[in-house]
Amino acid sequence: MIVAERKSLEEIRRTIAPYERVLIVGCGTCATVCGAGGEREVALLHAGLRAMEARSGEGWHTFLEFTVKRQCDAEFLDALVDRVREVDAVLSLGCGIGVQAIAERFPTLPVLPGVNTSFMGMAKEWGVWDERCAACGDCRLAETAGICPITRCAKGILNGPCAGTKNGKCEANNEMDCAWVLIYQRLEKLHRLEDMRRYYPPRNFRVIPRPRRIVSKAEVAVGGNNG
Amino acid sequence: MQSFAIHNLENHHLARPKRAAEDHSLIPPCQAACPLHMDIREYVSLTAQGRVMEALQVIRSGNPFPSICAHVCAHPCENACRRAQVDKPVAIRALKRFAVEFGGDRMVECEAETTHDERVAVVGSGPAGLACAYYLRKLGYLVTVFEAHSQLGGMLRVGIPKYRLPREVLDTEVERLARMGVEIRTNARVVSLDLLFDMGYKAVFLTVGAHQGLRMGIDGEESPGVIDGATFLREVNLGLKPSLGERVAVVGGGNVAIDAARTAIRLGAREVNILYRRSRAEMPADDVEVEQALEEGVQFKFLVLPKKIRRQDGYLKVNCVRMELGEPDARGRRQPVAVEGSDFEMEFDTLVVAIGQAPQMPGGFGVRVGKGSTIVVDPVTLTTNRVGVFAGGDAVTGPATVVQALAAGRQAAGRIDDYLQHRYPKDAAESRETLVGDLRPETIEMIRRIGRIEPPALPPEARTADFTPIEMVYDWEAAVNEARRCLRCGAGAEILFQDKCASCLTCLRVCPYHVPYVDATGAVRIPADQCQACGVCVAECPARAIVLRRPYDRRQVAGELEHVLRSAAQTKPRPLVVGFCCQYGLFGTGSLSDLWREAGGSIWLVPVLCTANVEAHHILRAFEMGAEGVFIASCGEQCARENTEFWVRQRVEKARRVLSEIGLEPERIEVLVPSDHNGSTAAEQLDAFAQRIGTLYLASILMQEVRS
Amino acid sequence: MAKSSFEEKLDANEFVVTTEVGPPKGCDVSGLVHDIDLLKDKVDAINVTDHQSSVMRFPSIGGCLLVKEQGGEPVLQVTCRDRNRLALQAELLFAHSRDIHNVLCLTGDSVDVGDHKEAKPVFDLDSVQLLRTARLMETGTDTSGNELKGAPQFCLGASVHPGADFIEPQLIKFDKKVEAGAKFFQTQGVFDLASLRRFMQYASQFDVKILAGIIVMASARMARYMNDNVPGITVPQPVIDELATAEKGKGLQKGVEIAARFVKTIKEEKLCHGVHIMAVGNEKIVPDILERAELISVGA
Ligand SMILES: Cc1cc2nc3c(=O)[nH]c(=O)nc-3n(C[C@H](O)[C@H](O)[C@H](O)COP(=O)(O)OP(=O)(O)OC[C@H]3O[C@@H](n4cnc5c(N)ncnc54)[C@H](O)[C@@H]3O)c2cc1C
Ligand code: SF4
Ligand code: SF4
Ligand code: SF4
Repeated sequence: MIVAERKSLEEIRRTIAPYERVLIVGCGTCATVCGAGGEREVALLHAGLRAMEARSGEGWHTFLEFTVKRQCDAEFLDALVDRVREVDAVLSLGCGIGVQAIAERFPTLPVLPGVNTSFMGMAKEWGVWDERCAACGDCRLAETAGICPITRCAKGILNGPCAGTKNGKCEANNEMDCAWVLIYQRLEKLHRLEDMRRYYPPRNFRVIPRPRRIVSKAEVAVGGNNG
Repeated sequence: MQSFAIHNLENHHLARPKRAAEDHSLIPPCQAACPLHMDIREYVSLTAQGRVMEALQVIRSGNPFPSICAHVCAHPCENACRRAQVDKPVAIRALKRFAVEFGGDRMVECEAETTHDERVAVVGSGPAGLACAYYLRKLGYLVTVFEAHSQLGGMLRVGIPKYRLPREVLDTEVERLARMGVEIRTNARVVSLDLLFDMGYKAVFLTVGAHQGLRMGIDGEESPGVIDGATFLREVNLGLKPSLGERVAVVGGGNVAIDAARTAIRLGAREVNILYRRSRAEMPADDVEVEQALEEGVQFKFLVLPKKIRRQDGYLKVNCVRMELGEPDARGRRQPVAVEGSDFEMEFDTLVVAIGQAPQMPGGFGVRVGKGSTIVVDPVTLTTNRVGVFAGGDAVTGPATVVQALAAGRQAAGRIDDYLQHRYPKDAAESRETLVGDLRPETIEMIRRIGRIEPPALPPEARTADFTPIEMVYDWEAAVNEARRCLRCGAGAEILFQDKCASCLTCLRVCPYHVPYVDATGAVRIPADQCQACGVCVAECPARAIVLRRPYDRRQVAGELEHVLRSAAQTKPRPLVVGFCCQYGLFGTGSLSDLWREAGGSIWLVPVLCTANVEAHHILRAFEMGAEGVFIASCGEQCARENTEFWVRQRVEKARRVLSEIGLEPERIEVLVPSDHNGSTAAEQLDAFAQRIGTLYLASILMQEVRS
Repeated sequence: MAKSSFEEKLDANEFVVTTEVGPPKGCDVSGLVHDIDLLKDKVDAINVTDHQSSVMRFPSIGGCLLVKEQGGEPVLQVTCRDRNRLALQAELLFAHSRDIHNVLCLTGDSVDVGDHKEAKPVFDLDSVQLLRTARLMETGTDTSGNELKGAPQFCLGASVHPGADFIEPQLIKFDKKVEAGAKFFQTQGVFDLASLRRFMQYASQFDVKILAGIIVMASARMARYMNDNVPGITVPQPVIDELATAEKGKGLQKGVEIAARFVKTIKEEKLCHGVHIMAVGNEKIVPDILERAELISVGA
């Protein structure tokens, strides 16, 4: 799922500065799961902003809060129609997709991001999130024992570990496992070390030409029998 | 400023919503087992919070004579209590006794208005009769209680010994009835129901009890010196002093037998034996009472059955046979069978036969009786074969318990009301489900063992000289600690807003008891029968999909906080310090009670039902409303739930992070515990904290002045 | 095309000695030139590091040009951290054009350990791919299969870590580097000869030259610091203890002693094909080590 992190209050304060009435909109899906922008975080941010305003003595904003089931589909945003009439801007605690979906749905409404969309990942344990996929468009997991070297190796290299690994940890962060050590160990268990011995040519970054789109529906002609 | 006196708080709590349709809680096993269907979980919880007056109110709302049950109830609730699966059941009866003694005036609610013309006669003044009279009177009827004896109470008066039920207790409850305007006719044995109808009574409730001692049916049972248990106890209770001689035997294994034996000891018998044909394990008598009887010197002869009695030389020669337990019968009870050739003889001065009683019905009643001379009634309407005649209590069930009799009385009152008002008789249906299912071993493993606290009792030596009541009341701390053992069965977490649940599994990961799980369809479930109602998942669910089943728990923290902030705003204290305090520790166990003394001036306390329910936004709300410092005082080790402090600290860290982003010092939020690592008390920690806040506050004022 | 002098010595199975210099942060290269002057005649080649430890500096290729100017034999270190395949190929073309043929192909340290932590880590290629890229270019094609006008020629090297705490994956990578065309290896710092011996037992099956990396430590503190902070490096406790025996202010001297002893043993026992001395900032003591190891005569 998508993992995000709340922006600093300072940054949020700056972005909402021009708008008097702000609707804080949470997302009931990924942002909820990763604890960055569900109903509870919306309430916390709301409380934080109000406390900030009250303490600064110069607060003039009014805040409303609401959490939609999912921000990244326009249909769920219909629930906002009446609410956005009351406000000058929306502060979205959804991921970057949510922010843009709201912007598309309400063409004249300012939409501000309240979180930094960080990565795609999963919970390691309560309150700890790890990145797992970079959406690189060229999945290598078949050859790497189901462990992604693109996201879990600081260098995203394909042909084995760099020499910086120590105690099974990554040279970039000694709390994180070295992906290549994990890959080696798992391949060994799977009796597939030859997967690691193979040479992997440079990655094809061409698969991420931007802007990207995937079309999974087929082009079909309707209204006649063409068979 | 002591505006925060305890009574304020109590008043405030009185405004708490009544059990309403939005109560999703399941009926806990204790309540399901209680014939009166008492809201035990609720009053135990209130007791744990030190809200004893409210606890007594809850008790009163379900029980017409709480103080009687507080002394002698057979407590089927405790037998059903799920805490027994962990260690020992909650001492519910003793807690009720505590509430009764400390919960305020006993004479309350003794007013009743007459709103109906119909008069009702209640025949018999045992608990069933008294309860029926009480409720009929409350419903606005004129009620007359007819009692054959000179005093009211039935077995409460003539059966149960005084050392278990002090007669002042009974007198007080009787007095309440009288004040309510119930007409009482003592020394009035009813012999004909027609007469009652002739006198103008429109309905009759028969509660004549079961007072006729059963006989063993052996030779010599008529001999002088042989007496039945009920009669023996009645005589003693009515002030007669039967001469027992030195050696007394009591036949039987029930509570009446134990009471008779212990009474005999108190009357000075040198040697008291209980003869029982089965073994200890099969004895129906209450364990605690058997223990107490042993302590008092009663001897038990198990697997013994009298066969023949001879009176000789002024003694009773009792011929007995040894028994052994045979194969279990259809009900799984092992029937005793005589061991061939094992006859032996014992010698006594008195033999008390306490093997049961049956109702005694004057022929003039004309009601149909069935097995064991009990009156046959419709179980829902309690109607007999005679129109307008209802019956209940021991007279219907055979010898049973006080609480069953009370329940029958209450039920009868409702059905008589239906009858007199020409309504279709129906028991009020309970819309809530009953909690079923045992705790799983894995859950039990996670629940902390906390020993049951028995109420204090007189030492055995001090008991046997006379009929002084032997059991005493808990002190405040013991009561609260005992009450905190309750597992709050059925009041736990519920994913109320299923549509909000994002299946994030936070609940699964944070639950200290590993209760939530993912079912085969992939849905997250919180099984009600395992949840310990600690509230951790409620406060952590990022979707806010979970609530504790009881409505006032869910809003408790926010509600209390707003109340305090409003009150504080009126006095504008500077610098305002707000503290969320464990209500149990504050008023219950008193581990934080020194904080209470500190409170006042600029320190305002928000009592919360477990600090694990305080969330980061609650803390920030206090700062928004002008607090300069916020602390959370948890009850530390005394918390009956797991990991509470960990969660408190998590929330505090979350709030601190936001606070520093606002530009306030994170040290403005603190966690207090009853005794910290330096051994300082909560009050000392609060002193230091208040001082710190004072300094920070001054500094911030100076800064402001510098700036402006 | 003529081989570089370094490559010739490798081919001739000479015991080769290399060392390295780090370019300055800034454009004052006088110190660098001074170091080069000091070393150029005492060693067979001088590596010029490429933003070592991800700290932004004067470029490696610029350092190599200075080595050439001073009459030395440079080894160009190329990492994949900062350039994509276009820039890397361009760099190789340029190196060849300036008669710089010795190229050490490295993945490069992580950006996180350096002084520009917010920089985008490129790693478009890894070291194995870079080696193959260079070999491909020698055939007259770039990585997209386009023909090159004039094909370069290289003596390619790579690194290997005989002392890694988990050696198996490192060996796989070593194999891949050999296969990709590495001719020589300069190892990570070696602190115990046992691991070097074990590694050589394995590496001897390949037709490549192994130059054991020798890091000169200035103090026990530095050794401990490296253990905690330098990727991949673990200085064993006995070495730290020995360093700790040094009198105050004589730490570097002790480090030189230890390094010289290592070099000497390696040479005498013919453990491998040469040594690569990394003096990390104390380049001037390299001749001292070589003298003590009796690789050069006093005053030479
Ligand atoms: C020794 C003993 C100890 C007990 N201990 C406990 C205990 O600890 N806990 C517990 O829960 N239960 C206990 N019980 C059982 C409990 O007391 C009875 O189940 C309960 O009292 C039954 O109530 P009741 O109203 O049906 O009848 P009773 O209490 O028996 O009352 C019937 C009343 O009707 C009166 N009466 C009978 N006939 C007539 C008539 N014709 N006209 C007018 N009045 C009449 C009787 O005099 C009597 O007062 C005990 C019983 C005994 C005998
Ligand atoms: S633990 Fe509490 S709620 Fe559960 S059965 Fe016992 S008294 Fe009732
Ligand atoms: S914590 Fe809340 S949202 Fe998450 S799975 Fe449990 S109920 Fe659903
Ligand atoms: S966390 Fe507490 S309230 Fe939630 S399911 Fe577990 S025991 Fe019940």
